[in-house]
Amino acid sequence: MKRRFCFWLIVLLGISIADLSRAETTLEKIDKSGTLIIGTRTGSPPFAYVNKNNEWVGFSIDLVEKAILPVLNKKLNKQIKLEKKESAPQTRIPLLQSNAVDLIAETMTDTQSRRDNVDFSLTFFVTGAQFLVKKGGAIKGIQTIAGKRIAAQQGSTNAKIIRERVPSAKLLEFPDQPAAFQALAQGQVQGYTNDGIQLAGLKAKAPKPDDWAVVGEFFSYEPYGIAMRKNDSDFRQAVNVGLMDALASNLYFEIYDKWFGPKGEVPYPLLPETKRFLQMQVVPK
Amino acid sequence: MNYQLNWSILWSGQTGGWLLNGLLTTLEISSLAWLLALTLGNVAGALRTAPIPPFRWLASAYVEFFRNVPLLVWMFFWYFGMPPLLPQALQDWLLDHGAEFWAGVCALGVYHGARFSEVIRSGIQSIPKTQFEAAHSTGLTVWQTYRLIIVPIALRLIIPPATNETLNLIKNSSVALTIGVAELTFQTRQIETYTAKAFEALAAGTVVYLVLCLAISTLMAVVERRVAIPGMIAQGNASEF
Repeated sequence: MKRRFCFWLIVLLGISIADLSRAETTLEKIDKSGTLIIGTRTGSPPFAYVNKNNEWVGFSIDLVEKAILPVLNKKLNKQIKLEKKESAPQTRIPLLQSNAVDLIAETMTDTQSRRDNVDFSLTFFVTGAQFLVKKGGAIKGIQTIAGKRIAAQQGSTNAKIIRERVPSAKLLEFPDQPAAFQALAQGQVQGYTNDGIQLAGLKAKAPKPDDWAVVGEFFSYEPYGIAMRKNDSDFRQAVNVGLMDALASNLYFEIYDKWFGPKGEVPYPLLPETKRFLQMQVVPK
Repeated sequence: MNYQLNWSILWSGQTGGWLLNGLLTTLEISSLAWLLALTLGNVAGALRTAPIPPFRWLASAYVEFFRNVPLLVWMFFWYFGMPPLLPQALQDWLLDHGAEFWAGVCALGVYHGARFSEVIRSGIQSIPKTQFEAAHSTGLTVWQTYRLIIVPIALRLIIPPATNETLNLIKNSSVALTIGVAELTFQTRQIETYTAKAFEALAAGTVVYLVLCLAISTLMAVVERRVAIPGMIAQGNASEF
């Protein structure tokens, strides 16, 4: 009885894995369905979030809509629709690998270990990890968190760094941004670590932004990229061409200004060296 | 687009230790919550059948309130809503000593206590009225009747549904990851973060839950056979499964 059960379990597992290896390129899939399905976030302002008017918007979504979609339209010679699905750090790679989404456009850091499993586009944003604290709190940066209760987002690169560099900090990991912020607001933790830009976004969206401060030097390097299924270079090329055209034609900087400019959702000036780095990724036509 | 399965990530490096830690935390939170649930369930279940109306109302209020609100909401309530009601010193002490774990125990225990109480009530109500009358006629008080006759029989009757509730409780303990408790599901996600191998990590978690729950249902089946009162409960062939 037990042996037979094990047998069926293995068969079931085998079927589900065989299913993953269906050979159809992403471009063929998009051509057939007429839809580009992206995995993105609902709670990461201003990259991808649901705004006051209940619209699902953000910087990452704008890049896909205004820079990448036109390239696909031209390439496939039809009007491609955009469909958004919620993704989280734990679900985004499985979502890609199971063909549920075609790309991940949110706040995903390009890392070497992730590149073993997915391919990344050019870097479209650069930031680093910092801390969000109540104004005047004891935490001033990663040097001052020993023994403190620190919240992090589960599945983020920041949690990994803290665990390795300051093992004495009491790290509490929450599945999403709102829960981590709630824990900070209630005093369950004394600081919340995430990428600086996301903390700035959270602060700007808080009921009383002046109560909060983003502190500390960057203690990590977080280049954001768009993730795609591995070994699908035609699709990756289309995505990269979209990003390069946007960087070369100023479209990227218009979108940047809309979200991070002085009148944007989260004012975050683009450093000259960052701008130069982004532009130098553009290769000649 | 081939996905390369790499099972060795499950025992190389720290991942094996994480899975074990996760399993231990799941066992800890589940067993403490189970004790709490059983205590609350027994009291509330017995009170709901008591011949004194205010007791019945009180127990009904508890059951209906706690079982009809999602467990996730209770997790947030015990973790975010409860501490501010405590004195500052106790609050700080709790936060430094795993407040999320105790909040998880309370949320799971109180929620499942409400569900357990319904199981126990149905056990008590399935006992023939003549048992109550016989107990009364031998001079036992209401309290003695419940303690010595009714509840011991009811507990034997409800082993199959109680096993069900226990397994549910163990699996529901994964909801505690929303408040940062590093239990088994949390650790499988952790492995996925570090290795980017989601399928292997989830498969490992699935197998551990399956083995754990199978072990418990087997154990409960043994208990059921051991404590059965000969001739009292129709056993049939049910215990052979």
